[in-house]
Amino acid sequence: QFGPCRVEGVVLQKLWEAFRAVKDIVQAQDNITGVRLLRKEVLQNVSEAESCYLIHALLKFYLDTVFRNYRRKAAEFRILRSLSTLANNFIVIVSKLQLSQENKMFSTWESARKRFLLFQRAFKQLDREAAVTKAFGEVDILLTWMEKFQQL
Amino acid sequence: VPCVSGGLPKPTNITFLSINMKNTLQWNPPEGLQGVAVTYTVQYFIYGQKKWLNKSECRNINRTYCDLSAETSDYEHQYYAKVKATWGMNCSKWTETRRFYPFLETQIGPPEVALTTDEKSISIVLTAPEKWKKNPEDSSVSMQQIYSNLKYNVSIYNTKSNRTWSQCVANHTLVLSWLEPDTLYCVVVESIVPGPPRLAQPSEKQCVRTLKDQTSALKVK
Repeated sequence: QFGPCRVEGVVLQKLWEAFRAVKDIVQAQDNITGVRLLRKEVLQNVSEAESCYLIHALLKFYLDTVFRNYRRKAAEFRILRSLSTLANNFIVIVSKLQLSQENKMFSTWESARKRFLLFQRAFKQLDREAAVTKAFGEVDILLTWMEKFQQL
Repeated sequence: VPCVSGGLPKPTNITFLSINMKNTLQWNPPEGLQGVAVTYTVQYFIYGQKKWLNKSECRNINRTYCDLSAETSDYEHQYYAKVKATWGMNCSKWTETRRFYPFLETQIGPPEVALTTDEKSISIVLTAPEKWKKNPEDSSVSMQQIYSNLKYNVSIYNTKSNRTWSQCVANHTLVLSWLEPDTLYCVVVESIVPGPPRLAQPSEKQCVRTLKDQTSALKVK
């Protein structure tokens, strides 16, 4: 349940296992340890109402930008399987996050968009390849946040 | 006078041992220097921030561990730590941990387990483990407050039938019914939270005997 969006049949455990298999490899490639993309200002105190918009924007970004641009490196480091598991599950979640137009509250959407822009701006300030690697290395932060909403 | 960096091999196997948010950095002495009077210096780093920070209590120490619980107490942050060895005028390069995420990696200790029994049932009361605290007089924080989805895996062993079964429970009380009278049962409990797999610490095995069947006792009279 992400606020107004209900998502059924998603097993986060598979995502955890997929990321755990690659965590050390991916995070070891991130040399810009002085930057955290999914900072507290992005994910902390997100209201239930905002959560659907934010999770949709983040997962779309991960699919369209992070996973897509990391494929070559994933093949190089032989971690394509984990990348595919994560990507396929993100596709399933995004497809189920259909937000009907009538309950799209503009103020909530705007607040969620600001949070996403904080993340995206930090991403764009880095070299492209470094940013993609860093974002992939922060999937544990993203899953932790998603897990908390799954309990509500 | 600065030491000659790289004059010593690096310490090895540097890791965080984390239980209920008590986060201890530990490492092995450099290869070939076991038993030699080497000293160690530790620094830590908060992912997303800018500089390495000193831990004054772990500067030039002899032991091969350092308690960084206070420094890593914000469990939603991620951390790195590093250690170097010094011997005389020589010192090693730093050796660094991988990224450490207390919220996902701390081991959840076992709950406290209280058992009471009657003829055919055993009541189990579980108390969630406490989070590490800096000072004993500080107020306690239960790990349940950090992990609201904390559950327990209760394993029960019937010593007469040699049978074991387990149940996953979310609340703190559990009554095992339809047991055999006058039988010794042993119970072990582990705390579990969803998320990435993590090591579990089982509770001490506790055994209780169900009471004799009073009805059969009356018939005998």
